[in-house]
Amino acid sequence: MTGRTGRRRIGIGTGLVQGLIVTAKTMLRPSHTDEYPDVRPSLPSRSRGVIGLVQENCTSCGLCARECPDWCIQIEAHKETLPAVAGGRARQRNVLDSFTIDFSLCMYCGICVEVCPFDALIWSSEFEYAEYDIVDLTHDRGRLSQWAATAPPPPPADPAAVEPKEVGAARKALERAAKKAAAPRTAPAGASPAAKKAAAAEKAAAVKKAVPVEKAVPVERQATEPPEERGTGARGEADS
Amino acid sequence: MDTAAASEVSAAANEISRTSGPGTGGSGGRPVTVGLGAGGLATSDMVLNIGPQHPATHGVLRLRLVVDAERIVSAEPVVGYMHRGAEKLFEVRDYRQIIVLANRHDWLSAFANELGVVLATEEMLGMEVPERAVWIRTLLSEINRILSHLMFLGSYPLELGAITPVFYSFREREELQSVLEEVSGGRIHYMFNRVGGLKEDVPAGWTVRVAQALRAVRHRMPDLENILMGNEILRGRTLGVGVLPRELAAAYGVSGPIARAGGLDLDLRRDEPYLAYGELFAPGGPGRVVTRQEGDCYARLEVLLEQVQVSLDIAETCVDRLRSLGNGPVNVRLPKVLKVPAGHVYRWTENPLGINGYYLVSRGDKVPWRLKLRSASFNNVQVLSEMLPGCLLADMVSIMGSMFFVVGDVDK
Repeated sequence: MTGRTGRRRIGIGTGLVQGLIVTAKTMLRPSHTDEYPDVRPSLPSRSRGVIGLVQENCTSCGLCARECPDWCIQIEAHKETLPAVAGGRARQRNVLDSFTIDFSLCMYCGICVEVCPFDALIWSSEFEYAEYDIVDLTHDRGRLSQWAATAPPPPPADPAAVEPKEVGAARKALERAAKKAAAPRTAPAGASPAAKKAAAAEKAAAVKKAVPVEKAVPVERQATEPPEERGTGARGEADS
Repeated sequence: MDTAAASEVSAAANEISRTSGPGTGGSGGRPVTVGLGAGGLATSDMVLNIGPQHPATHGVLRLRLVVDAERIVSAEPVVGYMHRGAEKLFEVRDYRQIIVLANRHDWLSAFANELGVVLATEEMLGMEVPERAVWIRTLLSEINRILSHLMFLGSYPLELGAITPVFYSFREREELQSVLEEVSGGRIHYMFNRVGGLKEDVPAGWTVRVAQALRAVRHRMPDLENILMGNEILRGRTLGVGVLPRELAAAYGVSGPIARAGGLDLDLRRDEPYLAYGELFAPGGPGRVVTRQEGDCYARLEVLLEQVQVSLDIAETCVDRLRSLGNGPVNVRLPKVLKVPAGHVYRWTENPLGINGYYLVSRGDKVPWRLKLRSASFNNVQVLSEMLPGCLLADMVSIMGSMFFVVGDVDK
């Protein structure tokens, strides 16, 4: 590497010419600049831009708020008693009152997203939310839900990667549910939703048990069930 | 002090400047030199503060200089303007939250910092890290090294008045940062290490893109080298300026490329291998330790440039290795509450700027009892008090810039 540029004496002007050659060469190549405000950058889907909240999934357990290294998440919730259905008892569940993230404090580490047992928090790669007043950087749950809608799907994993445990568990649960739904065709119509619900609860349990190493998001999103059902399943599981 | 004037100065005046001038570290009285008799120019030393807010320093390092006209008589780095109490903050955070903070003391080598924390924790837990994780970690920490070096290869000429090189170095940085962002989601604070491995596996096709990025950087590095190293102005300002000899570097605990430029042949990647470096630095491997003997600013810049080449070699080997590895996990499953058994361990790693060490003391809690941080820049900056005296004020900029430090790493 020290062929031309060692510390031995060089002729006056050689370095200058060398530099000008580089400049001339670069001048002839296309520019590297991104025309940012006009052309939006294409960000990778893992990019940590802003945190979104999927309200239906949140059980207001407060794990995210507790694990946050600088406590920028505020959660308020109250308990609500659901009237007893026939043959059952009255159940309590948490209802979220407010959920705010203060992005002026947030360090964008992603611990909250990682610890959430029900995937209620999700990274979006949106980044244009600068404000004139620092107070406006505290996003409430309405705004956070909007961010959740912009979250990109996670990238496919490398072929050499092992399948995350959650993905395997979720797939098995789905297969089992499908088998159950297919086999007793003659059974009363009520059986099918029950099976579906059981599968959802099972999946939620699997996700909950697992230490958040790899998110189960890819499969969850590909799953055929509507998100509301998943939410209730998870909540029921949490209360019982 | 001008030598002609100095010879005219009376013995008494000499006495005064000796006792109160250099060496006392500024704690004594105001240094005064009294010029007596005709023929000599009466000069008196002046205390000059460079920083904490000054365009010539990066960050908020303050230098308290005593200058005699253009000549620096004594220099004292005053640190701590950006002290954030990182060590104290470590003590109230669990081992996942510490990574967030460790990312930030030297923001140019975030990956290497978080690596040190998890290596120390894993050693305490006696945890075996999967092979795939080890190679990805090695690859990423070498990319991180290139990123850090490129930053200084751009910013140092900027301090010397050359605006162009920074664009070339940032073009290469962008190339590598985009692959790091793709894998970790962050461009500066990666948050990709976890105790026991990595956060998640790499996305499909990532290894191909890393190889491409490394090739592109290697292909274009000669541009940066040609525009820098032959330049007469740069040579004039760095050749023979600010010599840091081997013994002085060792005495002050200076490490990293700065120390190696003066012949201090110490590189933890070779001398106390961690990750996969044992294999990479073995005979026949791509790793080698870059050293120079001169120890001046130019040598320090040369070491940086050559280390980029070596790191590119190592990173490419890592990519090849990663592709040939079979399927495997990148992390081990952790208990929900991670408690580290009582004991202590000191783990040091070769960060881009030098030796970075974490002394972890645990009493069996989920937070460390003490986590002492030995950061490279702190030691590297202290030696300025020995290097600057005798230099011209204009050389101060080229010497300080060539010490390659990050103020966050100094002040912790």
